[in-house]
Amino acid sequence: MNASRDIARDGSAPLKARAVPARRSFGWLNSSKGLGIVLLTPALMLVVLFFLAPVVLTAVFAFTNMSTATGITGGAYQVSPGTLRVLTDRYGMRELAARLGQPTYIVDEEGLAALEEMGIDPGIIAGLRDEHLGETYSSRREFEREIRDLPDRPSTRTVKQISAEFSRSLANARFGNAGALVAAAEAIDPDLGDAEKEALLDATYTGWTWTTDNFRRLASSPQTTRVLLNTVFFVALTLTLFNTGFAMVLAITTHYIPERPAGIFRIIWFLPRISPAVIYVLLWKWLAWDTGFISAFLDNFGVRPRNWMLGSATNAWVFVILINGFVGASMGMVIFASAIKAIPQSLFHAASVDGAYRWQQVRHIILPHLKWPILFVTCYQTLSLLTAIDHILLSTDGGPGGSTEVWSLWVYHTALNNYAGNLQYGYGAAMALVLVVIGVVLSLIYLRLFNYSALIVKPRIEH
Amino acid sequence: MTGHLKSWPIVLALSILSAPLVLMYAYLFIDTFTNAPPGSFIPNEFTLEHWTFLWHTPPGRLSIWRVTLNSLMFATSTATLVVVVSSMAGYVLSRLNVPARGFFLAGVMVLHAFPAITLIVAIFLVLQIVGLYNTLIGVILVKAAIDMPLGIWLMKGFYDTVPWEIEMAGIQDGASRFTVWRKLVLPQVKPGIFALGLFAFLLGWGEFILPQVLAPSGNAQVLSVYLAALIADDNNFDMALFKSVGLFYIAPVLILFFFFQSYLMNIYGGGTKG
Repeated sequence: MNASRDIARDGSAPLKARAVPARRSFGWLNSSKGLGIVLLTPALMLVVLFFLAPVVLTAVFAFTNMSTATGITGGAYQVSPGTLRVLTDRYGMRELAARLGQPTYIVDEEGLAALEEMGIDPGIIAGLRDEHLGETYSSRREFEREIRDLPDRPSTRTVKQISAEFSRSLANARFGNAGALVAAAEAIDPDLGDAEKEALLDATYTGWTWTTDNFRRLASSPQTTRVLLNTVFFVALTLTLFNTGFAMVLAITTHYIPERPAGIFRIIWFLPRISPAVIYVLLWKWLAWDTGFISAFLDNFGVRPRNWMLGSATNAWVFVILINGFVGASMGMVIFASAIKAIPQSLFHAASVDGAYRWQQVRHIILPHLKWPILFVTCYQTLSLLTAIDHILLSTDGGPGGSTEVWSLWVYHTALNNYAGNLQYGYGAAMALVLVVIGVVLSLIYLRLFNYSALIVKPRIEH
Repeated sequence: MTGHLKSWPIVLALSILSAPLVLMYAYLFIDTFTNAPPGSFIPNEFTLEHWTFLWHTPPGRLSIWRVTLNSLMFATSTATLVVVVSSMAGYVLSRLNVPARGFFLAGVMVLHAFPAITLIVAIFLVLQIVGLYNTLIGVILVKAAIDMPLGIWLMKGFYDTVPWEIEMAGIQDGASRFTVWRKLVLPQVKPGIFALGLFAFLLGWGEFILPQVLAPSGNAQVLSVYLAALIADDNNFDMALFKSVGLFYIAPVLILFFFFQSYLMNIYGGGTKG
């Protein structure tokens, strides 16, 4: 290759002259390595942003108690009757809770400055500073009595305004950070111990924290077993009945009929796959709804109309598997059909001459050739059925009564959308993490299974 | 090869099995243009009343045209992104001598098999933090990234079929590797680019769960989310309206599929999951 490049350089002067300036400024574009890295960059960026980072973050979020209540970005410190009760019950600090909870009035410079800003008579402010600066009162009445006794006696309305400015109670106060809360608490009780401060911060924090509770909860919840069984049931049945079983029936039968009707049947069975999920499921609802086709049809035979899709758990499963299976069958159909097409015609001719029945052809010629395609379809569709969500969400939404709730839908209901409105991001991430781990492990196994190194062709232009 | 075997029993069996599908899709058309007496499915009058949603916007909902525009922008943007990124990366994996090329190729295969939908909780939180939640741009980026491994895989396959002689000739004439790719190789894979673009457009057009989670409300609503909200609204149950909006929504898909089915069946069979 190098030799031919040299010939090109020596042989064509005008080409070289044109190429030189380009080479000076974009030299990196002329090497395989440089161009390769440039062309790969956008893809790598997308992979890092939307695959690698989310995988890591799913794991990170799984160890938090994030929810709608805690918010996603940090939280604040909120003192409320509830948090004071936590202080009493969980930490046994009844006295601290009582001290922080009762109203407290402290005459300090901060409050005096606030009064000046409000435009209170300077005489009153001066009187307060001279006689009461630094004093603490634990009841409003006591403090207001002192204010009324000042030399410049304020009106009742002003007394209330003044006392409010000196209220340093923590009850129902909200602080943006830990420092502000500790400072405010120390203003009331300067002798706070470290343990007490820590307990106070813990009890009042409204944001999310690190925890391993999600996994403990997942392991101990009775719903876990149920959803897990549902998922296995759904994947196994859909896969065997439709994605491989019925797909094979379609591929083999269309192989044995004339090309024209075969093409029509392939198109019909392709419709579910190309149809957007929302409209495809709507058509099933039309079939199964209480005012739908099945009800109206059976009405003629005296069967009372009802919702056939959500009528019972069995019905719901039948429809969930049919809806997903009809979509899944088409992929297997196309793959198996092209595999059957690739079987040498001579094999069929020989079998035909021997007088083999169609069933024997299928059994001894077609099926052995479908071994790898079946394995391929099984592998890929296991993963996609395991994480399939669109069709179940739109048709039964896990109902009736959670009987068709599968794992991926459970994640959705926990972390992304539920009736209660409290979305548990952390718990949902822990559930999703289970699927992510299964997904990573299975796709790595598939990589070994379908030997990929055969697909790499050594570049024939080296530089 | 099957001369002595009759095919009509098979055709009959397949017809019976296909009947529910045919029925559902046939009534998708029939119900939008006709009315039938209650309890019956045989239409007795032709009507266009179910199509009034095209010019009359119900209160509290976006105009159907606005939503359609969103869907168009969503599908074309993701398709463009997927095509551009994949035709660049696919060429590298097919032809160029980059370090760790085998690793990248293995990576594409793993990403292709990996169900990206499991990452939706993390992606949802990230979009909220960076402020792209409930925007079209956020969903477009996510959808393009999720479709990209398949795109790279397909484009690599298309590049693999281009003869090396074309590139060698270009380099002998003094063209840079970039020029060779841009001017000589890319035109060779035009059919592939078209097929991938069409496929990515249809995937984007039909996508439901990503926009539903990442941009459910506001002005970023796309047709799938719009229709799902319409159906979920218990106060206005009107199957004929749902079907009319549905037909409006699925029409471009059916038309594109009708004209380019051979392209699409190959891609669906060779690449996608589901």
